[in-house]
Amino acid sequence: MFGPSNQILNNLLFWISRKKWLIATFFISISIFYLPTPEGLTAEGHRTLIIVVTALILIISESIPIPAVALLILIMEVVLGIDTPNGVASAFMSDAVFFIMGSLMLAVAIVHQGLDRHLALMIVTLTGNKTWRISLGFVGISAIMSSFIGEHTVAAMMLPVALSLLKNSGVSINSSTKISTLLLFSIAYGCALGSIGTPSGGGRNAIMIGYFAEFGLADISYLDWMKYAYPMLLIEIPLASTILWYTFTPEKTIMDSAVRKLKVDVAKSGPLNSNQKLSVLVFFFVFIGWVFLSPRIGLGIVALSGVFLYLTFRLIEWNDIAARMNWGIVILFGSVISLGIQMKDTGAANWLAQSFLDFSQFYVSDVSLISWFFSVVLCSVMTNLLSNAATVAVLGPIVLDLGADPIIMGMATSVASAFAYLTIVASPTCMIIHSTGLVKSKDYFKAGWKLFIVSIVLLFLISFLYWPTLS
Amino acid sequence: MKILIAISSKKYSSQTLEVGMSVAKAFNAKPVIVDVGNKINQFSLKEVGIAQERMESWNLDRPGVDVLEWAFDFLSENKLIEKNDIDSGFPKNTLIERGGRRSEVYLKGTVCDDVSLILRNGEIIEELISEVQKELYDVTFIGKSKNSKKDYELSQYIDSSIFIVNNYKLNRNYKILLIIYESPNNKKSIKYSIRIAQAFNIGIEIITISKDVESIDSFKKIREWSSKFLRRNKISFTDSIEVGNPVEIINNKADSDHILIMSSESNNPLKTFFKGNTPLKILKNTQSSVLIVK
Repeated sequence: MFGPSNQILNNLLFWISRKKWLIATFFISISIFYLPTPEGLTAEGHRTLIIVVTALILIISESIPIPAVALLILIMEVVLGIDTPNGVASAFMSDAVFFIMGSLMLAVAIVHQGLDRHLALMIVTLTGNKTWRISLGFVGISAIMSSFIGEHTVAAMMLPVALSLLKNSGVSINSSTKISTLLLFSIAYGCALGSIGTPSGGGRNAIMIGYFAEFGLADISYLDWMKYAYPMLLIEIPLASTILWYTFTPEKTIMDSAVRKLKVDVAKSGPLNSNQKLSVLVFFFVFIGWVFLSPRIGLGIVALSGVFLYLTFRLIEWNDIAARMNWGIVILFGSVISLGIQMKDTGAANWLAQSFLDFSQFYVSDVSLISWFFSVVLCSVMTNLLSNAATVAVLGPIVLDLGADPIIMGMATSVASAFAYLTIVASPTCMIIHSTGLVKSKDYFKAGWKLFIVSIVLLFLISFLYWPTLS
Repeated sequence: MKILIAISSKKYSSQTLEVGMSVAKAFNAKPVIVDVGNKINQFSLKEVGIAQERMESWNLDRPGVDVLEWAFDFLSENKLIEKNDIDSGFPKNTLIERGGRRSEVYLKGTVCDDVSLILRNGEIIEELISEVQKELYDVTFIGKSKNSKKDYELSQYIDSSIFIVNNYKLNRNYKILLIIYESPNNKKSIKYSIRIAQAFNIGIEIITISKDVESIDSFKKIREWSSKFLRRNKISFTDSIEVGNPVEIINNKADSDHILIMSSESNNPLKTFFKGNTPLKILKNTQSSVLIVK
């Protein structure tokens, strides 16, 4: 074994081998810092872009813990003189962050109730025993539920239902098969495409609503958002289901005995107990609050009110929430949103948008189409590499300045951030199904690219044919 | 003495487990069997945890439990754990998470000391290095990876001796190929060779490699010591001396019938980082199982 000094050196070398991106980020940041500030960009805007580049590389490479990236953003904002400590602190906390925090807490509280067995019964009652119908049911129910309660909550509840069906049908749940891949992707893709449906479908939707208000563009209510996004969600359900079926057509086309066994298992758990009923009722009130009260008190405060009720009725203990909450993500989203606001305030977002427009105008006269493609493709590619909320938080201020109808651009960007079909790290739902060991990394691309293209085409049609009629 | 045996599945790790447990018996060491599952992205860590909790509430095992269950069956079949443990079956419910991404089950050993089964999640090299740093293992057993960079990095950075199991077949007649060369740990590798020879009841072929003819005399003492030590332990052995580049000589000599044992060459990690070293270069091309003694 190594001597003490050699061990320190060896550990240091190991650290360096694992932190190549951190070291590279440091040098890239320093290099950008010493570059002359481009014409039209303020000194603060220049420094804000350094933080953006640093944060993006560190988030994608995961070379340091995500909460550390969040803290680094806040520290750099103050140290680089972009804002005062109080200014950074006030930009850090917003209704969008309250909403993300409240939604994550609600997710823990809902999953805690063990409603998944009743959900299972509902699915198999609706779908029957044909595999294609079960797959369609998984996509549809995951999509509709995740549009209201968030994608990873639904994925966590749907996963045991799918695995139970597979186990009951005699399929190994220790190795990948076509039927296991089909059902698991039905959940993941269903949840992803459902998350566009309402503002509560994903934190990024609330972030975009926050930007619309911050930029003085529009006050989009819960129902307004649904009018924009829900039709696309409904059209995508059969499309996604068909793509998945033809990509992973299983040998087993009937799951008769599995469905019967599942019904027997679920019947043993009895009807909904009083806590479960109360839990559904509380969520219903939260939904009503989002629809009718959010324009006045904000989406975040409604979500936090729901958490307050769950805690007050002892439907969940605070320790359970605290232990299961991803606090690092809350801090990250807070700091990325604050970075987005700094991008706007320092003119960095406007400079980036203007540079893109100047470049595009050189080739085409009407930039609205090219701006749309730029923001949608960039956002949907970035969302497959880092968090979709972080993508929207960073890209949002830029796309709103790209010259085209800002509502269409903002909505399209937010919807495109749900096209997280291509990689394991694209979203928590993709990671949840991958964590079972039943889907291979190449499967994500196998089905994902088809749905990715179909989704972009559909979004294009909706953006230019349907959304203008709503304005 | 503590031994870490890294496994991944029945298909790929039966030989590693077999060899590791045989050596653990020979050394009367405490074996710890570890499965390192997929790395979970930081954005999804808690969400995956919640999904796995739900799976457990449906009596569905989380990934990796099946691998540990297979290891448990192996230990049961070979009576390496006590009857009480065997009779009560694999204790899934006691697979308790102890700090971050590490869950552990304790079993009472028969031939060896207590046996532990561990489940970790993350990037395999980081997890094994962290496990060794935390629990101070003496030897780590792992199957040879298709990705030679992984073996290379692990051998370079892990702070324990490392046994890379490669092409191992239970019924093959093996011989230990013990390399003595310019290394500070030759004595330790000789001691390890004897214990392993005893565990598998096999002989040892010693090759002393000198870079040039003038340096041959510098190996006189260690060769005498090893011969004496091997005779005292009643191990059959042959002894030869070669002059030249150790990597070329060993690559020519070693084949899949050999278990190659050699000590780590340089104690300077910086030199190893930039130039590599003899064991790492041998590891790249060899068809044999290799024990690098640190």
